[in-house]
Amino acid sequence: MSTPSDSKPKQASGEASPALPLMTPREPAAAAQTTQPKPATTAMTAGTPGAVPQPAMVALDVANVARVDALSSVENVVELADSVVHIADQLHERILEEIACYQDRTMPDSQKAVMHALMDDELLLRQRAQALYAEATTCVIHGLDQPQRHLMALTAAAAEQIRHIGVIAETTGLVGEILSLVGGIATGRLSQVKAALDNIKLHHTALKALKPTPQAKT
Amino acid sequence: MLRVGVLVGLVLAGCASPGPVSLTEVREFADASAKLGGYAELSRRYRDTYQRELPYLSPQAERMARDTDAKRQSVFENFVAIQKTLVLYMQTLSLLAGEDRYDLSGRIDELGHGLGAVTDSGLTQRHVAAYAGMTRLLTRIITSRYQNQHVDTMVRDGDADVQALLDAMMVLTRIYEKANANEQKTVLGSFNADIPMANRTTDRMLVMLAKVHLQNKTAEYKLIDRRYKLAQQGLTKVALGHQKMRENMDHLSSAETRRMLAGYVRDLHLIRNALSDD
Repeated sequence: MSTPSDSKPKQASGEASPALPLMTPREPAAAAQTTQPKPATTAMTAGTPGAVPQPAMVALDVANVARVDALSSVENVVELADSVVHIADQLHERILEEIACYQDRTMPDSQKAVMHALMDDELLLRQRAQALYAEATTCVIHGLDQPQRHLMALTAAAAEQIRHIGVIAETTGLVGEILSLVGGIATGRLSQVKAALDNIKLHHTALKALKPTPQAKT
Repeated sequence: MLRVGVLVGLVLAGCASPGPVSLTEVREFADASAKLGGYAELSRRYRDTYQRELPYLSPQAERMARDTDAKRQSVFENFVAIQKTLVLYMQTLSLLAGEDRYDLSGRIDELGHGLGAVTDSGLTQRHVAAYAGMTRLLTRIITSRYQNQHVDTMVRDGDADVQALLDAMMVLTRIYEKANANEQKTVLGSFNADIPMANRTTDRMLVMLAKVHLQNKTAEYKLIDRRYKLAQQGLTKVALGHQKMRENMDHLSSAETRRMLAGYVRDLHLIRNALSDD
């Protein structure tokens, strides 16, 4: 839907998904954890074990096939993003464990540099996930055009009907005004007659203005 | 006298068609749905992710974040448009189901006053009261019959699309929530790692400031987390309420349907209040 601007980020995330395992840690001490990326990449078909629980996407009986397609690709992209977040989480845990080992000792600068390099990797992973989430939101938008347009048309039609109801109400009001006018004449209250006449004129104007909606009769 | 007789005839004829239908609950549900907060605010928050993340990013991560930011900005209007369409739909439904707009009680009171001035013209006070009552009833019957019919059409024809748009809003809110959780880890993560790595003797002041900042940020994210949940609950209630309304279109005025709709209205008010409490 939204035009040239999303072609670039799309490429960016396109190159990300296959390169995913390469992007991950530089892993010096993280050897124990490097098995992690494997379950995460298969997570597109199975579920990521121990990852953030995935609330099932609400499945609704929508006839629009394009929309269903769009939603299933949303699911896939979100799942991929979730697994990238999961890898970043694992990396973060590993960094914290490493730091915890030093307890009261001051960490040597060389080791701090390693930690910061890993933290930068974590940041990159998180940004990759953010890009994927953004990608997923654009998928949501695709295929929504039609329902939205239909709803707009429906709303416009209802507004027209409301105008029609206005006409009926005006008519009922008119009966009362005429009666009031007649009563006014009977007692010779001219001020009242004037007011009633003005009101009736107003009704007539309103009726004329609202007239071109004859179709909404039942 | 004769005119009053004509009115009585009209009223009796009107009674033959389905009786007056109260759409109060429909209108209240539509109003509450149109006013439900959360989504718009969370959409804006999502759009502004980059600004909040920026101070915590490495140059390389920042470049990637900038691309993502451009993408968020470019689709934001669409996110808002979905909600605007839905709000407009609900407002129109509310108008259609509304009684005050077409209720002529204001004018009828005026009319009663007018008739009161002519008691000596043969109309007694009893007639005046009867006339006013009957006109009100007649007005109600005419307008409610029409309104009911159109509410019917709108809800039936609109339901599938209303559900589709609400579903999209729920999916988006869920993605906003995930992106926010990831942002939170970006923001808090570096503090959690850097604070323990800091040199306790030389960086004392820095560590203290970092801890204060971490505390504030943690509180901020905790508050925001709650809002995603509330917004999702609200959207679910609107979707369910509209669906139930469509299913029960044929007996909208039954006590059971009205109670059910009133229940959704109450829930939506609770959610709205909870959203504005924070």
